[in-house]
Amino acid sequence: MTRVLVSLAILEGDTVSPGLIDLLGTVDVTVLGYHVLPEQTPPDQARLQYEDRANEALDDVTEEFATAGGAAERRLVFTHDREKSIQRVAEETGADAFAVTGATGPVERLLVPVIGDVAVDRITAFVTELVGDRDIEVTLFFASDDEGETEQTALDDGAAALREAGIAVETEHVTGAPFDSLVDAAPGHDAVVMGEAAPSLRSFLFGDEAERVASETVGPVLVVRRNEEEDEEEDEEGEAVASDPAAESDPDTESDSTAE
Amino acid sequence: MSRDTQDGPGAGSEVDGQATDGNLPGGTNVEGEAPIVEETVETEEATITDDAELERTLGLTGGLAIGIGTMIGAGIFVFPGLAAGEAGPAAAGSFAIGAVVALLVALPTSELATAMPKSGGGYYFISRGLGTLAGTVVGLSLWFGLVFATAFYLVGFGYYAVDTLAEIGVTVGSGLVIPIALLFGAGFTVLNVTGTENAAKLQNGVVALLLSILTVFLLYGSLDALGVVGTASAPERFMPFGPVSVLTTAALVFTSYLGFAQVATVAGEMKQPGRNLPLAMVGSVVIVGVLYVVTVFVATSAFESARLAELGETAMVDVGRHYLGGAGALAIVFGGLLATMSSANASILSTSRAIYAVSRDALLPRGASRINLKYGTPHVALGLAGGPVLVLVATGEVEVLAEVASFLHLILYGLMCVALLMLRRDEPEWYDPDFRVPGYPVVPILGALSSFALIGFMQRISQVIGLAVMLASAAWYFYYARDVSLRGAL
Repeated sequence: MTRVLVSLAILEGDTVSPGLIDLLGTVDVTVLGYHVLPEQTPPDQARLQYEDRANEALDDVTEEFATAGGAAERRLVFTHDREKSIQRVAEETGADAFAVTGATGPVERLLVPVIGDVAVDRITAFVTELVGDRDIEVTLFFASDDEGETEQTALDDGAAALREAGIAVETEHVTGAPFDSLVDAAPGHDAVVMGEAAPSLRSFLFGDEAERVASETVGPVLVVRRNEEEDEEEDEEGEAVASDPAAESDPDTESDSTAE
Repeated sequence: MSRDTQDGPGAGSEVDGQATDGNLPGGTNVEGEAPIVEETVETEEATITDDAELERTLGLTGGLAIGIGTMIGAGIFVFPGLAAGEAGPAAAGSFAIGAVVALLVALPTSELATAMPKSGGGYYFISRGLGTLAGTVVGLSLWFGLVFATAFYLVGFGYYAVDTLAEIGVTVGSGLVIPIALLFGAGFTVLNVTGTENAAKLQNGVVALLLSILTVFLLYGSLDALGVVGTASAPERFMPFGPVSVLTTAALVFTSYLGFAQVATVAGEMKQPGRNLPLAMVGSVVIVGVLYVVTVFVATSAFESARLAELGETAMVDVGRHYLGGAGALAIVFGGLLATMSSANASILSTSRAIYAVSRDALLPRGASRINLKYGTPHVALGLAGGPVLVLVATGEVEVLAEVASFLHLILYGLMCVALLMLRRDEPEWYDPDFRVPGYPVVPILGALSSFALIGFMQRISQVIGLAVMLASAAWYFYYARDVSLRGAL
C-alpha cells in the first residue's frame, strides 16, 4: 500500500487543510508530529513536559486522516534535527512520499512537474494510486531552458501511463527557467506532486525545492521519495542524455539541466 | 504501529527497563515526587519510549567536539605556566599521568555509557549501579564540580581577555580579569536561555580551528626546541622540585581532563552510541593528552620554569611570541579566548543536563527541569548552573577552583569504576554494553585507585571544600530523598 508521511510542528500549531486530508484518503498516512529543540535542551526533558499535549493534538489529526479513508498512524519525535527525524521515520515506515502541508480546498486538479531525481514512472505510479477512481485531473508539466526531446518523450510516456489508469491528463512543455515556470503554472491547480531533488548547493542556500514550491504556490506539495536503485538508473539516463547529439553543449550545463 | 521492526540496521538495540523484574524505582521525595523512569527501546538513531521518540542527532564529530572543546581550554591555555612553576619541565610528566588516569577511567565510562546511553552520564551509572545515596552525592557533586570547573574556565577567559586587550594596545591591568569573567559568565547563561540557534556547528568549527592553530604552533615549537630549526634550547634540570611535585601538579592539572565525562552527559543524544561514545571519550582524551604533553615541552623549552610561573595563566602568549613573534602571540591569545570560552560554555550546558538528570529522579525538585515556553530552553537548570558560577568566579582563586572541580570529578570517576565492578560481578539481565572494557578487572580497579589517589595530592583547602560539598549532598539525601530507590531502575 502506498504511504505518505505528513510531518507537523505539532506544538507550534501546524495544521492540515481539509483538502489535503481528502486528497490523501486513498493512501495510508503516517502523521509525524515533531518538536525541534535547541541543543541546550535534552529531548527527554522536553518529552516530560510536552508529550501529553503533543499526543493529544496528534491524535486529533490522525483521527481526521483515518476518517477520510486510509489507515493512519501517528509518531511523535523530539529532536534537535528536523530533517534527520523526518528522513528516519520515512525510511522506517517505508513511506513513498512526504507531504509539505499547505492550504487548499477540495483538490480537483494536480500539477505534476517532472523534475527532481525521481524517475517519471515512479511519480506516475504514485499519482495513479493517489487519484484512484476519483475525478481528479492531472497536468504533467516540464520546463527546460532548451527544447529537449528526451523530456518530451518522458512526458508522453508518463501521460500514456496515467491515461491507461483512467486519469484525465494534459501535458505542458514550457521553455524557460524550470522553477519560475512551475510557479507560473501553479494557479488553477490545487496541489503539486513532484519528485524529490538531490540536496544541492541551491537547496542548501534557499531551502528544499519542494518547500520553496510550497511557499510560492501556497498549496500542499507531495514529494515522491527517491530510492537508491533509481539513483543508479538516473545516472544511466544522464549519460544517455549527454550523448544525445541534439543537446550538444558543454558537459557542465548539460549535467545541470538533467539535474533539475 | 510497527515499532517492533524499527530497530534499523543496528542490531545493537536492546530493551532497557526490567519493570517486570521488580526493579521499579520506588519511593518519593519530601515533596511527594517519584522518579520518572520508563521503559525504553534504544536504537542506533533514536530512543523509543511508550508514546514518543527521542532523536539521536550527535555524531562522532559532535561528541569529539564536546570532549575536546571542554578540555582544551584549561590544559593548553591556562595550566602550562602554573604547572611549570610547580614541577619544572617535568610538568609534561604530570600531564602524562593525568592522561593515563583519564584513560583508565574513560574506558570503564565508555562501557557504562554504551550499556546505559542516557542523558545524565556518570550520575546515571552510579545511581543505578550503587544506589540512591551514592547517586545523590555524585549527582549533586557533579553539579557543583561542573560549576567549579566553569568558574575556573571563566577566570582563565578573563586573563586572556585582558591579554588580548594588551596585545591590541589597550592596557587595562589584571584588575579587570574578574569583572570580565563575571560579565561573560552571566552573558553565556543568558545566551543559553535565549539562544535557539544551534551552536553545535559553531562549536565544531571552533574546535577544528583551535586544533589547526595548535598543530602548526606545536609542530614549529617542537622542531625549534629540538634544534631542527634554530638552536636547541639548553634544558634546565628536568625535575627541579622533586618527584612529589610531579604528582601534586598532576592533581592540579587533572581539570584539563574533565571533558570526556561531559560526553557521557549527552549519551542520550548520540547516534550509534555503541560505537561513537567510546570513540569520542577515549579519542578526545588521547588527542588532548598528546597536545598537552607537547605544549608543556614546547613551553618549558622556551623559558625556564621560574619565568613561566611568573607569566602565570597566560604564559603561553609569551611562548607564542618567543617562537613566532607577534603573530604567534596573537594566534595564542586568540586561541586562548576561543578555547576558554568554549570550555566554559560546554560546561554550563553539561551542568544543566546534570541537574535535569537528578531532578528527573526526584532528587531535586521537579521544577528544576522546567523548560520555558518562549525559547524551549531549561532556564531553571541553566540558572542553577550560571548563578553559583558567578559567585565562584568572584573569588578569582584559579588553583582552588580547578582542584575542587577535579576533586568532585575524581570522586565521580572512582565511583564509576566501582559501579562497573559491582555491575560486572553480578551482571543484571539488562546489562548488555556494546563496548566492554579491555583488561577487566585490572583497568577499572586501577582507574578507581588512581582517581582516589590523585585526590590525596591536592592542597588541603581543596580537599576540605570538596569533602564539604559531598557531605552537604549526603545531608540533602537524608533530608530530601531518603525514600527514593533507584538501584537497578532503568
